[in-house]
Amino acid sequence: MRYAEPESVEAALLALNAHEDARCLAGGASLVAMMNAGRIAPGMLVSLHRIPELFTITEASDGIWLGAMCTHRTVAADTRLGGAMEVVRGAARQLAHPAIRNMATLGGSIGLADPRTELPVALVAASALAEVAGAHGRRAVPVESLFVDSHRTSLQRGEFVTRVFLPRGATGAVGHHLRFSRVAADYPTVSVSLVLDMEGDTCQQVRVVVGSCAPVPLHLDAADQRLIGTRLEAEDVAEAGGLLAQAAAPIDDVRGSAEYRRMLIPRLLGRALSQARERAHV
Amino acid sequence: MSDDVRPEPAPRPVGEVLGQSVPKPDAREKVTGRAVYTEDLCVPGMLHGALLGSPHPHARILSYDTSRARALPGVRAVLTAEDLPAHDIGPAIKDQPVLARGKVRYAGEPVAAVAAVDLPTARRALGLIDIQYEVLPAVFDAEEALRPDAPVLHAPRGPGHPNAASYIRLVEGTPDSVWARCHVVVEDVYETPAQQHIYLEPCSTLAEVDPDSGKITLHTSTQSGFRVQAVTAEALGVPMSRVRVLVPRVGGAFGGKVESTNQPITAALAMAAGAPVRLTFSRTDDMKMMRSRHGARIFMRTGATRDGRILARQVRIHFDTGAYADDGPFVANIGSYFARGPYRIPHVDVQCWCVYTNKLRAGAFRGFGNPQIHFASEVQVDRLAEALGMDPIELRLRNALETGEKWLGGAPVESGTLRACLERARDVSDWARRRERTPTAPGKQRGIGVAAVSHVSGLLGSSATVRLNEDGTVTVNTGAVDTGQGSDVALTQVAAGALGLSMEQLNFSRPDTDTSPYDWCSGGTRTTFTVGRVITQACEQVRVQLFAHASALLQRPVRRLELRPGGFVGVRDEPGTSVSFAAIAGRALYVEGGPIIASARYLYPAWQLDTNRTQVEGLPFMGNGFFVFAAQVAEVEVDELTGHVEVLEAWSVHDVGRVINPAATEGQVQGGFVQGLGYALTEELVWNEGQLVNPTMGDYKVPGVLDVPVALHAVLLEQPFGPGPFGAKGVGEVGLVGVAPAICNAIRHATGAQVRQLPATAERVLRALMERD
Amino acid sequence: MSETVSISLTINGAEHALTLSPERTLLDVLREDVRATGTRRGCDEGSCGACTVLVEGLPVLSCLSLAVTLPGRAITTIEGVRNGPELHPVQQALVRHGAVQCGFCMSGIVLAAKVLLEQNPSPSVDEVRQALGSNVCRCSGYTRVVEAIASVGGRP
Repeated sequence: MRYAEPESVEAALLALNAHEDARCLAGGASLVAMMNAGRIAPGMLVSLHRIPELFTITEASDGIWLGAMCTHRTVAADTRLGGAMEVVRGAARQLAHPAIRNMATLGGSIGLADPRTELPVALVAASALAEVAGAHGRRAVPVESLFVDSHRTSLQRGEFVTRVFLPRGATGAVGHHLRFSRVAADYPTVSVSLVLDMEGDTCQQVRVVVGSCAPVPLHLDAADQRLIGTRLEAEDVAEAGGLLAQAAAPIDDVRGSAEYRRMLIPRLLGRALSQARERAHV
Repeated sequence: MSDDVRPEPAPRPVGEVLGQSVPKPDAREKVTGRAVYTEDLCVPGMLHGALLGSPHPHARILSYDTSRARALPGVRAVLTAEDLPAHDIGPAIKDQPVLARGKVRYAGEPVAAVAAVDLPTARRALGLIDIQYEVLPAVFDAEEALRPDAPVLHAPRGPGHPNAASYIRLVEGTPDSVWARCHVVVEDVYETPAQQHIYLEPCSTLAEVDPDSGKITLHTSTQSGFRVQAVTAEALGVPMSRVRVLVPRVGGAFGGKVESTNQPITAALAMAAGAPVRLTFSRTDDMKMMRSRHGARIFMRTGATRDGRILARQVRIHFDTGAYADDGPFVANIGSYFARGPYRIPHVDVQCWCVYTNKLRAGAFRGFGNPQIHFASEVQVDRLAEALGMDPIELRLRNALETGEKWLGGAPVESGTLRACLERARDVSDWARRRERTPTAPGKQRGIGVAAVSHVSGLLGSSATVRLNEDGTVTVNTGAVDTGQGSDVALTQVAAGALGLSMEQLNFSRPDTDTSPYDWCSGGTRTTFTVGRVITQACEQVRVQLFAHASALLQRPVRRLELRPGGFVGVRDEPGTSVSFAAIAGRALYVEGGPIIASARYLYPAWQLDTNRTQVEGLPFMGNGFFVFAAQVAEVEVDELTGHVEVLEAWSVHDVGRVINPAATEGQVQGGFVQGLGYALTEELVWNEGQLVNPTMGDYKVPGVLDVPVALHAVLLEQPFGPGPFGAKGVGEVGLVGVAPAICNAIRHATGAQVRQLPATAERVLRALMERD
Repeated sequence: MSETVSISLTINGAEHALTLSPERTLLDVLREDVRATGTRRGCDEGSCGACTVLVEGLPVLSCLSLAVTLPGRAITTIEGVRNGPELHPVQQALVRHGAVQCGFCMSGIVLAAKVLLEQNPSPSVDEVRQALGSNVCRCSGYTRVVEAIASVGGRP
């Protein structure tokens, strides 16, 4: 195995293109575990930890840019991530366990595209954009468009995510992340990330994304539409949840059967929505 | 307590050490990282070992080609069954090869071993070993394995199905004829999982072979140096005295390190390579290759009269022992022996099969057959209480065995303290108030449940030598291994209490089969009880010798002498007259020419089942020991949306006879409870077509700190009685045994959902919630 | 065969010059090359916490950290916690409360607790529990471990 630790994005792109089997190393939390288990053996690792710009956080009027090498701990601690953006902060605060949150990064979570994890789910709910660096410069794309399959992104060989933009969203919108897991330090069996904007008792806008129930974060326009304009009564939630459960493609694994996951989707959606509404009133 | 068997007064300890939470002698080295576990050892020229596991759950081995592995630079030895003695080992049935020979019987079974200059090279070499297999039909369910047409794992050993490693039947009374007299009868089928030990330190051995004498020295993580010595010698066909076993610090064991782990193969690698070899399993290899608790399926029917007297019980147990018997038949013995529970039930019919399947072997694990049968029994007793409209504790009290009453098979209950445990549990948990269902958050329900617990303490032989040193200190030597439970401190305190010494005046030797007296094992809730007893016996002999010398030195008759704290023999009613142990030691060495030294041994006598009382098949006697009792109560909150269960608070009440070290004892109870909580709610090995699907700690989840109740009350009752030191009784396994039924009874109380299969995962609880109406 | 990289690691304040393959984890290097064996190996996948060390004062899992990425960063292992003959207050409390059983988890727990108390000198029981969320203990049931650590900050 070869190793490089470039000090700029440009140098990293060169290094990634220098070897056919090169992979980016971010926090290592997942990549090194897979190497230890013998599941992957990259020909080259390009560590991104010496590239200062990947650690920066920039506040803009319409949102916040988070560097791809920001750890979950950093995200969880950033009190500027309120309102709609809180959904990402909430996920970062709860996922896995403290030592993993000290290591794992935003960019790593996106690049890995592990359907078991929840940060991608929260980013999709937040309508986040990802800035992708590649041979032809940088482009910003919706994070949602990056996830194409289990452990597969639409990133081309030699590309990587440099930073993530979280839009501030509508005034009064709240982001909320709800995870359900067997034990605290586990992947969620099902997670629900959402951004909710209420006008009085009526749902003005909502974006619901379900995790661990499909190869990619599960977002369904029809489910959002079923909730918008309603007072989020039990029937509305049940129907929206039903649509999501129908669209889900969960697997059977040690965390729960596919059938159980489908059962949980509307149930947890209801709980997540009511928790978000409580938060909105605080 | 009945009058005819009132406990004899237990001896009083001398001094203040017994009963104190004395810090463990190894605690400082453990919190500073200095403690040395096997994997921390490194000797010059040491090689690294690794094992290749079978890819198939059942297959014939057609051929080996190890030439490519042998040719890899850095590889020093490659072994298969062809390089090892062609006989099998095993504690109950000789059915296990060190490396699979002829065929493989579970996926992950070691088939080849490599020693190389470093671990990456050893692991690469494993990938270069070619083995041709012919895949055979396999069976993964214990009941299916007993069908006439089931694939057979082992050559038949006699009549009966070849997949039945053991079969037991115990019948008392005439159960068939009394069901009609029962006003209430409940029956169910209960299932319990293959829980795994997940000792935090994976199994590890360092083997050295002296090139001149051929003597093999093993440093290894085990519960018993003497078991390792015996099994390694047997497996490799060398004399026992040619194997020496030393035990560094052990990073947890819980039954998983009772029998041999990787010691025989590591020794074989060291012999083949002519160099020391250290073999430490990866977590996944440990999970796939070692052992688990027996999964079980239990049919149980229990009947009672209207006034709450339990009249009859029928039980059929299938223990799944996996590919090898290991301790399975012994586990089945305990499971059968406890199938009546700690209750007086006149009519009982118990059948128990221990069955081979093509899965990981099952063996000893804290509780040893008792968690399985307690789950069925204690959940069923709650169903019975419900059907009778009685309080669950009241029904248990009405049927609890008392001192002097007979166990299933006729053994007497010598100290029947279940009643005391249940009554105390009722008080400390504020049972009556909490049984009134308290309101809680929307979508959540609270409930409280109880389990009565019985176990045995004792099992097989132990010995100790106690020697007075020249400076008046005392050296205690036993073969007992401290696996973290704190036996080193507790046993030192026992000696301190017996001779009136301070901890600093005692020297407690670590186990070494070359120099330690025999001890069977640190397991079976026995170390404090049995080893503690032999220490007090040996100390008593030392005391007699001390007094003989003191009598001569002080010119006083022996009958007027007494032990005084700090290492003195004094004269009763003469506060100023005493002689120190050091002075006595001097006289012994320089006047008589020999030290004061004593040894003692003990084996709790086996119980021959009373065939006038019980019809017995397959279980002529039980050698387990002294009955001990506990009551466990759990309060839970069930999330009706998801089925998730949170244990809010718990009380574990144990009669420990006498508390030797409160902190260590409570630690055993609390640790046992949390392992039981894992067994109850999350822990389960899962197979798919014989392949283990969760052999990692990421997928197989043990409870973390956030998954356990903040308030986990260990309540210790002291009713000293019996052969243990100062009346102490064992507690090591007991804290685990009743947790799962207490939690499931609490789930039922909270929600009406009946969970019959462990673990009570959120998914299973949710399904039970949906089925309840 | 891997290429090797020559680096210097700062472990408990001391510099260690090492030549390593890039896939070597910090856990491996600590145990095999530096022979600082107080950092324990329990799972190799970040699920047990036995291998916890501090990097720049934060608990991380050395089994998931590649050593080559760590030059110039302060690494603290359990061997670096003790200051002279005195035990750290966390260590003292764990010993005094009888919280130590097999001890295999203790290095990680001591380090996680040390960081907590540096950031929050008087943590609540709940804060202690949150801080130990990465550390599996299979022996104690956690009760006495949490009590011991909370006692350092003066909470019961």
